[in-house]
Amino acid sequence: MAPLDNRPPLKPVPHLILLLLAERPTYGVELVERLEERSAGSVRLNAGSLYRLIARLVDDGLLEPSEEEPVAGAPGAPRKVYAVTAAGRSVLRAEAKRQSDLLELARSLDLVGDEAS
Amino acid sequence: VLHLLLGLYPPRHRRAYGEEMWEVVRHRHARAGGGARFLAATAWDLARGALGVWMTTTRRKGTMTRREERDGDRDGRRIGSSMGGWGLDLRFVARSLARSPGYTATCVTVLAAAVAVTVTVLAFVRGTLLDQPTYPGSERLVVAWGSNVVDGQLRDVISGPNYIDLRRGTRSLEALAAFHGGGAILEVDGRPEVFDAQQVSVDFFRVVPVEPALGRVFDDRDRTSSGPAVTVVSHGFWRDRLEADPGWVGRALWMNGEPHTILGILPEDFEFLYPAEFWLPLRDDELAADERSRIHYHLFGRLRPGATAADATRELTARLGEIELEHPGLRGWSVLAEPMDEAAVLSVRGILWALAAAVGLVLLITLVNLATLFRIRTLGRHQELSVRRALGASGARVTRVLVLEACGLGLAGSLAGLALAPALLARVRGMVPLWIPIPDSAAQLPALRALLDPWVAGVTVAGTLVGTVLLVLPGLGGALRSRDAARAGRGVAAARGTGGLVAVELALATVLCLGAGLTTRSAARLLATDVGVRDEGLLTLYVGDVWERPVGEQIEYFREVVERVRRVPGVAAAGVIDYVPFEGEDDYARVYFLDRSFQPVESLREEWRRVGEGLFETAGMRIVRGRSLEPVDFEGTPRAAVVNEAFAAKHYPDRPAVGELMSTHDEAYRDFEIVGVVADVRSNGPAEPAPPMLYVPYQGSPRGTTGLYVRVTSGDPIAVLDPVREAIWSVDASQPITRIRPMSALVGARVAIPRAARSLVAALATLALALAAVGVFGVVAYGVRTRRAELAVRLALGASPERIRRDAMMGAVPLIVLGVGSGLVGGILAARGARALLYGLDPLDPVAAGLALAAMAGIALLATWLPARRVATIDAMEAMRD
Repeated sequence: MAPLDNRPPLKPVPHLILLLLAERPTYGVELVERLEERSAGSVRLNAGSLYRLIARLVDDGLLEPSEEEPVAGAPGAPRKVYAVTAAGRSVLRAEAKRQSDLLELARSLDLVGDEAS
Repeated sequence: VLHLLLGLYPPRHRRAYGEEMWEVVRHRHARAGGGARFLAATAWDLARGALGVWMTTTRRKGTMTRREERDGDRDGRRIGSSMGGWGLDLRFVARSLARSPGYTATCVTVLAAAVAVTVTVLAFVRGTLLDQPTYPGSERLVVAWGSNVVDGQLRDVISGPNYIDLRRGTRSLEALAAFHGGGAILEVDGRPEVFDAQQVSVDFFRVVPVEPALGRVFDDRDRTSSGPAVTVVSHGFWRDRLEADPGWVGRALWMNGEPHTILGILPEDFEFLYPAEFWLPLRDDELAADERSRIHYHLFGRLRPGATAADATRELTARLGEIELEHPGLRGWSVLAEPMDEAAVLSVRGILWALAAAVGLVLLITLVNLATLFRIRTLGRHQELSVRRALGASGARVTRVLVLEACGLGLAGSLAGLALAPALLARVRGMVPLWIPIPDSAAQLPALRALLDPWVAGVTVAGTLVGTVLLVLPGLGGALRSRDAARAGRGVAAARGTGGLVAVELALATVLCLGAGLTTRSAARLLATDVGVRDEGLLTLYVGDVWERPVGEQIEYFREVVERVRRVPGVAAAGVIDYVPFEGEDDYARVYFLDRSFQPVESLREEWRRVGEGLFETAGMRIVRGRSLEPVDFEGTPRAAVVNEAFAAKHYPDRPAVGELMSTHDEAYRDFEIVGVVADVRSNGPAEPAPPMLYVPYQGSPRGTTGLYVRVTSGDPIAVLDPVREAIWSVDASQPITRIRPMSALVGARVAIPRAARSLVAALATLALALAAVGVFGVVAYGVRTRRAELAVRLALGASPERIRRDAMMGAVPLIVLGVGSGLVGGILAARGARALLYGLDPLDPVAAGLALAAMAGIALLATWLPARRVATIDAMEAMRD
């Protein structure tokens, strides 16, 4: 078994944000919607918390903003769309690896599945 | 609200995400449908987010990166007024000050002390010099004195008829008013109580225009005595004694034995040189009917626009000349008109300006001190600053950070000082009386109503900030000069400018120390001056209002009062005198000097006092020649008198005054003999020479209200007040007892200003000493620190620690000699300019100079020795490694 990675884990909400944006780059309002949907309503971010996290991920080089062409017929300025960078992807990959290693360990201890078994 | 909260985010964050955040908020709003709950939740979220972003930003920018520096510069230029790079710089300054708590605390403490002291003294200067009378056009007010050059009387009062004649058709004055201080007796709780009342001619409120709070002030309706008795009441009396009832206007108040209708209430802020509860009208017909020789009234005038006090002097003197033609007895008199502001602050102006100068010096020393500390710190930070330059920070940017740092310190110190000031002000105010008597008059200065107003605070803080920046700027050059300044900073040459600053600081502090030495010595001298009465254990008060009684009954009344007071347990002696000294009152008699055949040789106006039996003994006034007045002198027509030393020296310089004969204008005092000479009483205060004085037995023409001295056997004279009062009222319970004061308080009021000045200057000098010590300490400590490696090598090579310590100290000696020496010279020059404040003390007073020198040298050497001591503790290895 590979040695366990001792890097700190990603916190759940930033992790979810990265995963959703890896799935498909998107802009703020849509991200809020998808977060709520994918977390079954448990992650309901407002502007302050959302952009604090986005700003930190951008500063860390895990996300990058890009301007999207204005949608035909939609009013307003072009929307900024956030996409995961290469660094972001490798962090996601490392986190997935860390978690799967942990899962492996738990499984070998027979801690996965029904509690009764 | 939400928009405002968005404003809390760092500008960079706002620029990058602001619009999107707002879009999310709108989206959420559409989904939630608004409401207070949504608003509260969103507000909380935004506020928490802002805090989080700020914390992240601060943590990340612990050290400014090259990119951010550039961003800041660019943003600063582009955004102009926005926080741009400023926010970053402010945080940087805050952090760097927090990293040096010792430096920050020293600077803030030093500034706070200086600002607190400056605010206090400025408040006094403004309250007294700049903010005198509150009525409109006060700069056009003049006091018109009767001047008699022949009698040597420059400022005297004027008679009623002369006032009426002078007033008629003046061109230089809009209005001229006569004025006389007095009292109003009211019955309070069954006992007579006396209040200050000023009698003023009807024109008074044209000279001093005032809008009454209620009712009216005097006008032409009150000119003649045909009308009812009326009065105008002070706001304080109306508020405290009449329960602020507006219904009192138009009603009568029983006063001085008759009802007086209250015409009006003066406004609360009305202030005149003479405090009073009641203003009573002097009627024109009564003034005109008065005797021309009875000079009695102060005159106040309001100049016409464009006219000067000199114009008024000329015109009124010419007018008096015309009056003289009809009344030859007035020969020798002229009129002297002086601006009232000047007359009022004459006595304290010198001291206040000196104080203002002293406090200016302290503030200057503080700022120089700050500049020294700042310079030393900047030199110590060369490494850091040059790293910043190397990373791309522009010179302007570094300057901005350093100036911001100075401003931050200045502001923190100023605010701390302002917070301290009220307590200090209250303390100082406790040292001086509320009213300061003005020499040569019964006027009192509504003294030192020192106010901590926005003007004082603003001027001090602005001065401090501007001074801080101005003094700090020259020190910046070194910080910016070279990109490899790290090495330059270690040179001794870099510290040379600092040394110069310290020398300046030492010089300024020496000036103050010398000033403190001189004021302390002169105040001590003044306080030790024998005023001519034994003021400890002596109570003074005024008794009676028996003007209307026949002379015989008046004498009987006062004799009985003295008799009963003497029997009070704890009372050693008692005696009467018509006017108590030290209160600015004077009383003149025309004195005729007689030859052996009782023929008048010469006549002059001189002050006189009518005294009772045992007065000199009660007061502790020493008889220097001849004898005192004895019981026999108080029987029948007065035939004996006593003069003071000043009188004897003036009129009989070549022979003993005892045995000389004289007469007065008063019929009751004709053809009497001088039987003794008594020591001078400096009745205008210890700083003023005693006026020549004639003392006569009072039974010739007693004063209806007379001063009473009560000497106690021991302890505080106020302790016997109650039994003394009962004893007086046991003679006649309807007679008022007023102006009860221990003699020591009366004398004290005359020296209050010099005494307060001494304390203040001493406090300022102490502060200056401490500041100078901090400056010297800083420079020497810096020198030792930068030379650690060199000193360590010398120690390692076998030099003794004593030797090295001595060398470190010797380096500062030229600075100390230069600073203290030039300060001493400057101080002596300044003291020559302020000679008038020294009460005869020589500006070159060796004791004061010696003290200043010793204090400065001692402090400077101590401040040198403390850091030099550290030399011995240098660890050679560690120092070399550094």
